[in-house]
Amino acid sequence: MEEVSVRTLVAGLAFLAGIVFGATAQKTHFCTMGAISDMVVMEDFRRFRSWLLAIAVAMVLSQAMWSAGLINLDASIYRTANLGWAGAILGGLMFGFGMTLAGGCGNKTLVRIGGGNLKSIVVFMIVGVTAYMTLRGLIALARIELESATNVDLGVPQGLDALLGGITGIPAGGLRPVLTAIVAGAILWWCFKDAAFRESRKDVAAGIIIGLMVPVGWYITGVAGNDDFEPTPLFSFTFIAPIGESLQYLMTFTGSSINFGIASVGGIITGAFLMALATGTFRVEAFTGTRDMLGNMAGAVLMGAGGVLALGCTIGQGLTGLSTLAVGSALAFLSILAGGFYGIKYQEEGTFGGALRASLSRG
Amino acid sequence: MSTDVTEKQTLDVKGLNCPQPLVKAKKALQGVPVGSLLEVHATDPGARDDFASFCRSTGHELVEQKEEGGAFIFLIRRKK
Repeated sequence: MEEVSVRTLVAGLAFLAGIVFGATAQKTHFCTMGAISDMVVMEDFRRFRSWLLAIAVAMVLSQAMWSAGLINLDASIYRTANLGWAGAILGGLMFGFGMTLAGGCGNKTLVRIGGGNLKSIVVFMIVGVTAYMTLRGLIALARIELESATNVDLGVPQGLDALLGGITGIPAGGLRPVLTAIVAGAILWWCFKDAAFRESRKDVAAGIIIGLMVPVGWYITGVAGNDDFEPTPLFSFTFIAPIGESLQYLMTFTGSSINFGIASVGGIITGAFLMALATGTFRVEAFTGTRDMLGNMAGAVLMGAGGVLALGCTIGQGLTGLSTLAVGSALAFLSILAGGFYGIKYQEEGTFGGALRASLSRG
Repeated sequence: MSTDVTEKQTLDVKGLNCPQPLVKAKKALQGVPVGSLLEVHATDPGARDDFASFCRSTGHELVEQKEEGGAFIFLIRRKK
């Protein structure tokens, strides 16, 4: 009975946290793909600063929880000693490009479903199936080949702190607060030196609330879910594998058990739906034609496979992973940015070559 | 054609996801003479905010925005 109640507790809390996350994203238009497109199309950096603010908030609080002994982030998937650099780069590029075709990342897809977008339901299903194919199905064979050929065993957790600690001899635990202060401090300075961002209350609020959701996730799985007999794996917000697991959960309900990821996916959709109703922005939208449908489907395939290869999406790696100071997360984050940047250039130029020239000439 | 009768071009981006309506409108504006209008038809719900910030940050004028027949219509005047 005990393990059932811990599992149910984790799922219930994850669902509630998901509601807050989804409602915030719906209300503030927080969007990682939109952040990149705003920069490229109109040189507006506010939404990108909002994302970075979320990273700083998530990093400071997650590291503080670790220092206080509440959680051990070395137990998260982001800080394994096995650095999958090729998967992070290739998967990140695929994911970044895919999200510009599908109108947003995994999180945005869930928020759009809540807002009445029927196209996003198709994206959701294709992301889920492709993610599962990459985790365990046909594409998994290629993924495992790639990983066994390229993954590097670092011998220590792939945190910046552990790597620098290995070089300097300073204990990683002592380096972490210093590195966190430097990285988060630099981000906060860059975010708030901009008057347009400071005055944009919805972008500042989105960054703070969404950043908070990451340590809330660690708390739910690492503290509330800490059961002596069946400890909950340490986990926080990420969306691609959980979308696959959600599909599987819905199809095999009687033989499956819920986890943080599945419950949070449901929570995000619910939160976005409630906020869309409350603000009168709920709007049913469907495909208008072949080109529209093709773009969404292709984007979904790239996000599903890329998100699993890179071990996470714009939120999973670009927020939750970064909060752990993992270098693989930084690699995935930069690759997603590059893929997204190139995707928007591709839409501007209309050809792959033209987009590449435009991306490079911009420096 | 006298100068006060402004030319108007129309761009149909109905069904396209964010950010494509914006990308296409930015491109189409380059083909519109300065002072003339571009009418954009979009269905993406994010377009309302997007076109408002696009005009604010690029200096073009958002002359009118309305909802008609399930689509958002934006009338943008090229300023520079």
